[in-house]
Amino acid sequence: MSAAGVPLLRVEDLRVSFSTEDGLVQAVDGVSFELDRGGTLGIVGESGSGKTVAALSVLGLTRTEGAQVSGRIRFEGRDLLELSDEDLRSLRGNEIAMVFQDPLSSLHPLFRVGAQIVEAIRAHRGVAKAQARARAVELLQLVGIPDPARRVHAYPHELSGGMRQRAMIAMALCNEPKLLIADEPTTALDVTVQAQILALLARLQRELSMAVVLVTHDLGVVADMAEQIAVMYAGRIVESASAEQIFGAPEHPYTWGLLRSIPTLDGPREELLEPIPGSPPSPIAPPPGCRFHPRCPYAQPEHARTDPALEPVPGRPGQRVACLLEPELRRRLWSALREGHTPEQASAAAGLPAPSIGSGLERALPAKETV
Amino acid sequence: MTEPRTSESPTTEPRTSESPMTEPRTSETLLQVRDLVKHFPLTRGVIFRREIGAVQAVNGISFEVTRGETFGIVGESGSGKSTTARLIVRLLAPTSGEVRFAGRDITALGGSRLKDVRREMQMIFQDPYSSLNPRKTVGSIVAEPLAIHKVGRDRAGRRRVVQDLMETVGLNPEHYNRYPHEFSGGQRQRVGIARALALRPKLLIADEPVSALDVSIQAQVLNLLRDLQRRFGLTLVFISHDLSVVRHMCDRIAVMRDGRIVEQAANEELYAHPRDPYTRELLAAVPGARRRDRRTIPA
Repeated sequence: MSAAGVPLLRVEDLRVSFSTEDGLVQAVDGVSFELDRGGTLGIVGESGSGKTVAALSVLGLTRTEGAQVSGRIRFEGRDLLELSDEDLRSLRGNEIAMVFQDPLSSLHPLFRVGAQIVEAIRAHRGVAKAQARARAVELLQLVGIPDPARRVHAYPHELSGGMRQRAMIAMALCNEPKLLIADEPTTALDVTVQAQILALLARLQRELSMAVVLVTHDLGVVADMAEQIAVMYAGRIVESASAEQIFGAPEHPYTWGLLRSIPTLDGPREELLEPIPGSPPSPIAPPPGCRFHPRCPYAQPEHARTDPALEPVPGRPGQRVACLLEPELRRRLWSALREGHTPEQASAAAGLPAPSIGSGLERALPAKETV
Repeated sequence: MTEPRTSESPTTEPRTSESPMTEPRTSETLLQVRDLVKHFPLTRGVIFRREIGAVQAVNGISFEVTRGETFGIVGESGSGKSTTARLIVRLLAPTSGEVRFAGRDITALGGSRLKDVRREMQMIFQDPYSSLNPRKTVGSIVAEPLAIHKVGRDRAGRRRVVQDLMETVGLNPEHYNRYPHEFSGGQRQRVGIARALALRPKLLIADEPVSALDVSIQAQVLNLLRDLQRRFGLTLVFISHDLSVVRHMCDRIAVMRDGRIVEQAANEELYAHPRDPYTRELLAAVPGARRRDRRTIPA
């Protein structure tokens, strides 16, 4: 919480749906989160989990696409969903900025990088062109582009992927936003470049005390960057906690699945990965009850009927989870899993009735392939 | 390169080793790459095309792959790792150097001889969306190698083989008549793997086989590859940019940069004592490498 007790950004019960040929896609289905000034929130999820749509909605970028948006998005107390397009435009790129995944398709190919930054500055500030240009050079220097006075004249295609992403970040920072939304900012980049860009974001965040929403599928990236993490699945947040809690004491079976299915550099090498069976559900007809239950090794029959709410975890300040399993049982399951047991062994150790979905390869086969 | 290492690891997970290996592992070399070079000419002019330079995609690399092992090639984009894969299966002709498969130089082969060799080495591609023909059923995609190499007499026989293959890779054999778009990314990659296995190859070359897949699906495909390798005694060349995945999968690893191998070592050696500064840089750049520090909350 900030000094005034009001978070910089508070999203309440955000719902976004799109009508498509195949039916209504409920991309985001009741998502709430908040972010303090200078804080970092990582939103993690697979493709189709709704993480990008949730982030785009903050900027009002889902407005024009025939979408229905409801809920509240409060930025410094103002509800962004109620702002006019014009008011929103004066906020965008000014107080809230965005960095997209693919810098090549987000920069205009026919304009020089410098000119695009100058335009972004002059859209919000009544400064002279020369002044804006000087600022552009300064920004390119800030994001670590060598020889910035020359590179302002470069076209996007003349820069490498990493340099382009730096230019995008420079443009996002040009008006010193209070909030930066970065959607998979490093996914298209090589690992060494990714490490540089993440270090750059962390440094700029410190220097400019800007809040960051980092949207990614990569748990490693949020582990390095985020203080708070929200794990999304099928349009909902299924777990939200501090980074320490997510990696040290995760509560949701989906989070466990993500952590156990990714090889790490420090785990035992011969440890078999434990994949999450099946594939993510269709956003048009999500499963009833807990949306994760068809893929959950610990699902009980009643989980197909009851929809869990995101609730505080007893004894874990700040951690919230949407799971129907008893907290005590979850703790026994996770301590068995972290010792390297399979979900079946963990279930047996925790005294959970065997799952009815089957096991092994059969379980790895998704219930249905087609949407 | 150091001594060829047989790949039975003492800690082999009991859960997949239940399937007996059909081929005993020996320390025999299956694939040998020597001083391999590939330059792509840069030309200027339309009528009088002249060479103005060359992209040195692969610049004199040598390595050996032992039967039954998984050999990893790791590098960033532009390092030449995918070109190397294409040179091995002769989708590209090398500028110079030698590729020996089962003791035989295949760099100069052509026509039916090359076809015979290709039967023994198959490739799995990165993108399960563009590597399957959208107009063909999954059954005919998997059956195509059989048809090309005239394996199996009649359609019914081939169909049985294909359905067996689909079952082996964890697909429902009844989905024989479905089209690629009806499958998810992970399932499409299984289709690609079934196609690669159809001719019972000795060598499988997987070029970034999981990087286009969702996180929760990647492990399914990695486990499948490992399982198949043990079951069929396959030799695997595994190409990836992801150091964590390579560490999980491979027995020996070559690190590539700018068309050269900067370091080549056994798995444990490479990760515990990286010698080349570039390897160290790569390892330090892996996101979440410091995640260990955060695992200290008592359960």
